Amino acid sequence: MLERNFFIPMTDRSNEQWLAELTGAPDAQARALEDLRHRLQRGIFYYLSRERSDLTHLSGQELGQMAEDLAQDATLRVIDNLDSFRGDSRFTTWATKIAVRLAISDLRRSRYKDFSLDGLTAEGEVLPASTGDTFPANTAPTPENATERADVMLKIERALREALTERQYQALSAVALQDVPLEIVAERLGTNRNALYKLLHDARRKLRQSLEAQGLTTDYMLKLFEE
Amino acid sequence: MFMSLHESELHKLIDCIVTSHYDDCLDCESCARELDCLAERVAMGAKINDLLPEVATHLCCCRDCFEEFEALVAILRAENSGQLDAIG
Ligand SMILES: [Zn+2]
Repeated sequence: MLERNFFIPMTDRSNEQWLAELTGAPDAQARALEDLRHRLQRGIFYYLSRERSDLTHLSGQELGQMAEDLAQDATLRVIDNLDSFRGDSRFTTWATKIAVRLAISDLRRSRYKDFSLDGLTAEGEVLPASTGDTFPANTAPTPENATERADVMLKIERALREALTERQYQALSAVALQDVPLEIVAERLGTNRNALYKLLHDARRKLRQSLEAQGLTTDYMLKLFEE
Repeated sequence: MFMSLHESELHKLIDCIVTSHYDDCLDCESCARELDCLAERVAMGAKINDLLPEVATHLCCCRDCFEEFEALVAILRAENSGQLDAIG
């Protein structure tokens, strides 16, 4: 008998075999579950150790433990969602998708555990006066376009204040300006990511319409601020 | 507390306006449904735009979905190239 810790053969089951074994007789089910868990753990470990520059301070052992815990949770989630597997991809790819989502969600929650939307408000001054201190020295506006830039900043400020609702403003500030993940902002707003995506989509569209109504095309703004 | 917008933020704001589109595009849930199939083919060398342009559009303007997509592709590539076997 093979020592499981030493080597677990990653026999490539067909999608049908995976489904049959995961829902089948106890022995086959236990083997399939263990293979699945191990497979997910490898993938997660690879991701944490090779693809995440923010986790380089963790030891191999710590990453291994994280991967093990996440793989355990992911396996349960896969089993709970077996009914939604459509068979468009390999079963293991679909399961890995679920594991990735879970792992990344976990990382986002721990990174942004202290994030709050308080203070993100469109009340008062939104943009500072467009003077030299807004721009790093090397991109300081030339006298010719300084006035133009200041004017555009005012128009953007007006668009942010007038076109968006408070909720849209908060969401857009957090996601677009502070790079906070949608998932985190959605949680803080008491909604879900899908609904937040739609809210942001509307906010961006309204902002764009408002700027265009003030005569500002996106091409023009890009040129003005990217030279 | 007032937000103060620095140049990098202004660029982000303009970028987010530029990448907005008027058509109704895919939401995160619909995108997630296609992600495994898409990632599998991209990991084999296909281009997203040739496969599912509407998903590609969503990935361009949704950082969360894009992060998950990239992670999945990275794992699949590692798997295809035998790098995961080295993990044991
Ligand atoms: Zn999305």
